[in-house]
Amino acid sequence: MSNIDRRTLVKGSLAAMMAGATFSRAAFAQSAEPILLGVSGPLTGPNAQYGTQWKQGFDLALDEITAAGGINGRKLAYQFEDSQSDPRQSVAIAQKFVSDPRIALELGDFSSPASMAASPIYQRGGLVQFGFTNSHPDFTKGGDFMWSTSVSQADEQPLLAAYAVKRLGLKKLAVLHLNTDWGRTSRDYFVKAAKEYGAEVAVTEGYIAEERDFRSTLVRVRDANPDGLILISYYSDGALIARQARQVGLKQMICAASSVYSPKFLELGGEAVEDVHLGTRYFPEDPRPEVKKFITGFKAKYGGQEPDAFNAYAYDAMNMAAAVVKIGGTDRRAIRDAFAKVKDVSSVIFGLATFDVESRRVKGAMNAELVVRKGQFALWDGKPT
Amino acid sequence: MSSWLDYTINGLIVGNVYALVAVGLALIFGVSRLINFAQGSIYLVGAYIGWVAVVQLHTPLPLTIIVVAAAAAVVGLVIERFGLRPLQNSVRIAPLLATIGISFVLDQLVMLTFSPNPRALPSQLPDVRFQLGGGTIGPLDLLIAGVGITSALLLFVFLRYSKLGWAVRAASQDRDAAMQMGVDVNRVNQAVFGIAAALGGVSGMLVGMYYNQIDTAMSLQATLKGVVAEVVGGAGNVPGAVIGSLLLGLVESYGVAVFGTSYRNLFAFLLLVVVLVLRPNGLFASARQAPPEPLTGTFIAPSRPVRIPRWALAVAAAIFAVLPFFPVSFYVLQTLINAWLLGMLALSLTLVAGTVGQVSLGHAALLAIGAYTSALLSLTLSVPVGLAVIGGGLMSAALGTLLISPSFRLRGHYVSIATLAIGEIVSLVILNWEGVTRGPIGISGIPPLSLFGYDLISPSSVYWFSFAVMVVLALLQGRLLTSHLGRSFRAIRDDDIAARAYGLSLNRYKSLAFIFGGFAAGVSGGIAAHLYSYINHETFNTQQSILALTVVILGGLGNVVGAILGSVALVGLPEVFRIAAEYRILIYGIVLLLLVRFRPQGLLGTI
Repeated sequence: MSNIDRRTLVKGSLAAMMAGATFSRAAFAQSAEPILLGVSGPLTGPNAQYGTQWKQGFDLALDEITAAGGINGRKLAYQFEDSQSDPRQSVAIAQKFVSDPRIALELGDFSSPASMAASPIYQRGGLVQFGFTNSHPDFTKGGDFMWSTSVSQADEQPLLAAYAVKRLGLKKLAVLHLNTDWGRTSRDYFVKAAKEYGAEVAVTEGYIAEERDFRSTLVRVRDANPDGLILISYYSDGALIARQARQVGLKQMICAASSVYSPKFLELGGEAVEDVHLGTRYFPEDPRPEVKKFITGFKAKYGGQEPDAFNAYAYDAMNMAAAVVKIGGTDRRAIRDAFAKVKDVSSVIFGLATFDVESRRVKGAMNAELVVRKGQFALWDGKPT
Repeated sequence: MSSWLDYTINGLIVGNVYALVAVGLALIFGVSRLINFAQGSIYLVGAYIGWVAVVQLHTPLPLTIIVVAAAAAVVGLVIERFGLRPLQNSVRIAPLLATIGISFVLDQLVMLTFSPNPRALPSQLPDVRFQLGGGTIGPLDLLIAGVGITSALLLFVFLRYSKLGWAVRAASQDRDAAMQMGVDVNRVNQAVFGIAAALGGVSGMLVGMYYNQIDTAMSLQATLKGVVAEVVGGAGNVPGAVIGSLLLGLVESYGVAVFGTSYRNLFAFLLLVVVLVLRPNGLFASARQAPPEPLTGTFIAPSRPVRIPRWALAVAAAIFAVLPFFPVSFYVLQTLINAWLLGMLALSLTLVAGTVGQVSLGHAALLAIGAYTSALLSLTLSVPVGLAVIGGGLMSAALGTLLISPSFRLRGHYVSIATLAIGEIVSLVILNWEGVTRGPIGISGIPPLSLFGYDLISPSSVYWFSFAVMVVLALLQGRLLTSHLGRSFRAIRDDDIAARAYGLSLNRYKSLAFIFGGFAAGVSGGIAAHLYSYINHETFNTQQSILALTVVILGGLGNVVGAILGSVALVGLPEVFRIAAEYRILIYGIVLLLLVRFRPQGLLGTI
């Protein structure tokens, strides 16, 4: 790092002091120090739960990477900055990471407003923003430094529609979706695919994330007389809807997006989520070796806790980051170019992940059709419920 | 037809849930004329104590209720003793801010203790369902209704027939007179906070059981809905709070029935605004009730502002102006850009809240209007960005003043609640008016700031631009305050009856203040939109409004320099506390509480 001029060094050290990171000369002494990744995500505020799930996934992946000898002999580490999913804080964090020469690559943020507000800064600063939960169709359009392994809803929703319409034989659907950019995009792709497969969408209802009471919404659903409910939800609201659907006497089949795949869905939903169908990217008895390794590793590290979808996204993202850094080294531009070069990175979500250089996303997510049986996620055996 | 029965039943069921929070809020408001923003946090604490009792200690239901009530009551007593009692002789607005600080601290403590993951809180009642209309209700519905109605009745009887109840009412009517008559006001306050907190804790637990789900985000939502229900029923009126809650539940349910789920909260807040405009004392206020509160003049206490000599201000401005020439990191510049943007919002709010006395809790709506206008002008009509930002300011001034004008006849807390509702309405309209705002997808690809054809992209140029705009707005506002307009504004704040007697047209002056303030806030929103390149309905949320108010109170109401100082402090502190990671918002809350405790008139004092 002899080519760092004094000004950059002073700026870097100021940033480090602001971070409260214990700045020392050793921070710039090459190989003994870990390769540092910046993470911008929510650790407090309304989305804090997702930030803590990220951490679990990251830490597991890092343990494995370190055990395997690190990246060309160096350790990989991350610096997690809490953004509260607030664009005002994520832009400040972006400047902080961009002006900190130790940061090789950035991961996050969680919500679209926070992530995409920071994109111009990463793009101009020439630091890769690797958004692994950013499904907003415009996220990677922010520039050639924006890359994402978030499953594209254009890929996922037709799979869910095929499960609901072709495999489960539902003909008249009611779609309940989170009224966010993710839920809205997903709904549009789902409705389009479901219609192509010959089903009728009787009603769609968007609800805000803080909503807890769905009884009146479900009366609307009942009056539309569907033969199946589609939930484009996260696990906590999905569980609430399933419970209340049973309480208001709706007995129709429920089919949910993969984002409900979490042990919490079973815990919060209780008996009401029995027989709920869902498409997922992996499942507990999945024979794929990378999934087995992930699940056994996760349970061993976190006291028997089952991993969920967000844990898996974070785990995959850290492994992908490691693969990229292995090729690109610590030069930021080389890292960006390395995203186009990595091939077939072992991934829980994709099996083998390779970026599509045009869209800067990964295509071809794995698909498994599950159903909740006796309070557990199980592979659907093709039998009607 | 049967569907309408179901909508009605569902509305009553959810209204039932709101009532539990609203009753506690009403009780506290009745005595201390305070909207307790910490009530939702006590509700959260109650839910988690309930979780510990049920899941870890396996207590039976009656014991669980007693444990939760007792523990929550202790929390309430601690809040009263250490958070609010020291403030009783300070400005009226100090306790309000203190409850906001306390709610930060409590929410963070729960989050740190229990992790932010949602948890299941299993119901301990037998799982039997009774058919009612097309749906079913369970024993928990009945228990919640029972607790809500019984507590309202008990409180009503207590206030009307017991000696301590009389003392409570006497204290609520006139604290000083009650003290002279030998009422121990502190004991009364203690009793009220204990009861309200016990009720809040139990309601959090019951609602948690009802949904089989508790998480740390439930606190703010509970407070919001509780406040709406309470005000609809008549602030401080306990039985009114129950009826207000049921009415709120019904309006939401019918709103969903007619327009769909995403319009639900729109109806809740519209109901609030309509009730406030037509019957500001609530639906059930009796005609002979005294005016709600003599808030003008006492809400914002006069204090001696700290005079900062002009040369010092000029030096400070010069230092900040040349800052980018020094080797400061872009991170520091970006943080200061955020501070300048918040500073413009705070200038706007300090004018309407501090100088004119209209304490707005929905100021983020003005940011949103400015941001969307500027973004859409530049994107769809290709208006140059510089002009688009000004357009955003003008639209915010016009639309903001128009929206807020129904609340001009309100005073004190009611203005805050009305503006809170208007803020939520604006956010929900943005979410639902997809033809214009693109709904939840938001607006992406907003062009960067530019002036006369030059893009302002580097952090230094954005820094200079936002700093210059803020300084110009601050100078204009300073000039405004020293003119006859400023004196008229302050006259309205200090005594609106006297001001009217002198021939001041209150509505016109309030409009003028909102036009100027709306412009500043709209410009801030517009710049933010071009800085972020992407905005949606969540970018400018309630937390922004609360933050802006905190800045204004911290800096000193009406104080232009104070607003800017407060912005730098409140943007800077959470960044400085990054060292503390998850603990930083906790520390921020504690610092806020200490400031309110020792400097309630704000750092630089009210002007």
